[in-house]
Amino acid sequence: MKDVICRSRLVWMGVLTAALGTVPLWGSDYLVLFFFLFCLYLTVAQMWNLLAGYSGLISLGQQVFLGIGGYSVAVMGNYYGLNVLLSILAGGFFSVLLALFMSLFIFRMKGVYFSIGTWIFAEILMIWFSNWSFVKYGTGLFIKTNPPLSTNETFYIAFVLGVGSVALVYFIMRSRLGLGLMAMRDNEDVSETMGVQVFRYKLYCFLIAAFITGMAAGVFYIFQVFVQPYKAFSIDWTVKLVFIVIIGGIGTIEGPIVGALILVFLSQVLADYFSVSLLILGAIAIAVILLAPKGIMGTLQAKLGFEILSPRRK
Amino acid sequence: MIDLAQPIINGLLLGGLYAVIALGLSTIFGIVRVVNLAHGDMVILGSYLSLAFCMWLGLNPLWTILLVAPIMFCVGFLIQSVLFNRVLGKGMEPPLLMAFGISIIVQNFLLLVFTSDARALKSDLSMMTISLGEINISLLYLLNFLIGLAVILGLRQFFRKTFLGRAIRAASDDVVAAKLVGANTSSIYAYAMGIAALTAAVAGVLVGMTFIFYPHTGPQYLIIAFGVVIIGGLGSIKGTLVGGFILAMAQLLGAHFFGPGYQLLCGYMVLLIVLAIRPNGIFGKA
Repeated sequence: MKDVICRSRLVWMGVLTAALGTVPLWGSDYLVLFFFLFCLYLTVAQMWNLLAGYSGLISLGQQVFLGIGGYSVAVMGNYYGLNVLLSILAGGFFSVLLALFMSLFIFRMKGVYFSIGTWIFAEILMIWFSNWSFVKYGTGLFIKTNPPLSTNETFYIAFVLGVGSVALVYFIMRSRLGLGLMAMRDNEDVSETMGVQVFRYKLYCFLIAAFITGMAAGVFYIFQVFVQPYKAFSIDWTVKLVFIVIIGGIGTIEGPIVGALILVFLSQVLADYFSVSLLILGAIAIAVILLAPKGIMGTLQAKLGFEILSPRRK
Repeated sequence: MIDLAQPIINGLLLGGLYAVIALGLSTIFGIVRVVNLAHGDMVILGSYLSLAFCMWLGLNPLWTILLVAPIMFCVGFLIQSVLFNRVLGKGMEPPLLMAFGISIIVQNFLLLVFTSDARALKSDLSMMTISLGEINISLLYLLNFLIGLAVILGLRQFFRKTFLGRAIRAASDDVVAAKLVGANTSSIYAYAMGIAALTAAVAGVLVGMTFIFYPHTGPQYLIIAFGVVIIGGLGSIKGTLVGGFILAMAQLLGAHFFGPGYQLLCGYMVLLIVLAIRPNGIFGKA
């Protein structure tokens, strides 16, 4: 009986993934745009979830990697004529380099200090880029890709990233690294005594998240066509990620999927009332924290034992 | 030497203002163990309330402190008792995210009511200066400094001398022991947040008189507050004052040597260096 349920879930997941991957074939332009944004928010939020939900690293500075990814695509494409896929990869690569440099400072800090440290890095980069002639100061850069991409092509890249990020977190959580992370989350001191290399595991997660986030940012800014420091390094990015993960359920793989769907849906529905839309988002987040602190998926799991992608071993 | 004196004096005076901005954040962290990410927005909410009173009653912005401060006290008291108290003791994330939510709501509420135009609290003070030889001291900066100092010393005395202040300190030192001797920690926390919001109101009026502000300016002051508190160490009043001086001085000297575009950058650099050397701040407990 359990096998049947398990198999039917796999089938459903396959069908949904296939449906998502073929949106450009059956859906309208609007739907393509909708699911494009969904895939990208899912990717970046899943990475924040890996940090905050599984590694205990609450980063408020993920916009650092979003900005770097965006600027990498712009600089590599405009100035050096690099192939677009390679530019996106370069965004991930530069993000990892920056994350390594940041780790020298912020991995000495704990808890709240870590959160604030990451945010300050983002602010530093925002000022740096708005004073840097190479990237045209605060006016920003237009992005010309080589070769130019159609909307559908950008969608497929986003789709690969979205599905890839979910699969990545799933496999990480079932690996030795994931076991170590869960042990750390439950009790850091004890797990360290038992041989979990806490520092190294956290660093791995931070680097992985930087890499994926940097690439996703590249794709996002190719779609936006324009990258500008005050938007790219803005805390607004992290606000959105936090909402996605909290509403969906922190520390669950499915949470960011549900959360991203809700965020994109709400921001589309409320697009005409820009300032009210954020007000409503804020109110929803507070309501969720008060009523269901584990988020939608977390609460479902706790109440019904319902899990689609379980990191647990049988 | 003389052209260095100007940024140093200004840095000292600005440091007083920065310390008041940070005071509420530091207090709440020290007592409730919550990092109130909405603190910057509470400061700006204070600026806008003052603006509303200026326009409505035609008052001098300075006098609006007397109206804005009690209102903000109530706001803080309500936020703590209705929202934060319900997520305490559930780990670090829920209060952090709750504060994030409040921050977004305040910003967008201000945007809705006051639009995104730049605002300022105008007064005659902003133009007046005192000349000492070749050094000009802005009267407004001096006033910020003096009011800031008064608030900080007042709070210190409040925590030392009054019953409520002592109860708050007791709850911050040992929650369990405070409960055992009959202190109602929930209501103590609510009072503490009210006081933090009150200092934010004072800071907001001063900030509004000194700089222009927008609905989205809050996070900018939150980061300044963080900077001050991190340099000084979370939860220490003395550290807050020293942190304010160091951060403001670093910014103004940075602007003096490298140009105004690098003012903020220099502040953050000093911050990161302090953090890398002493991860808990200069006066912070290890």
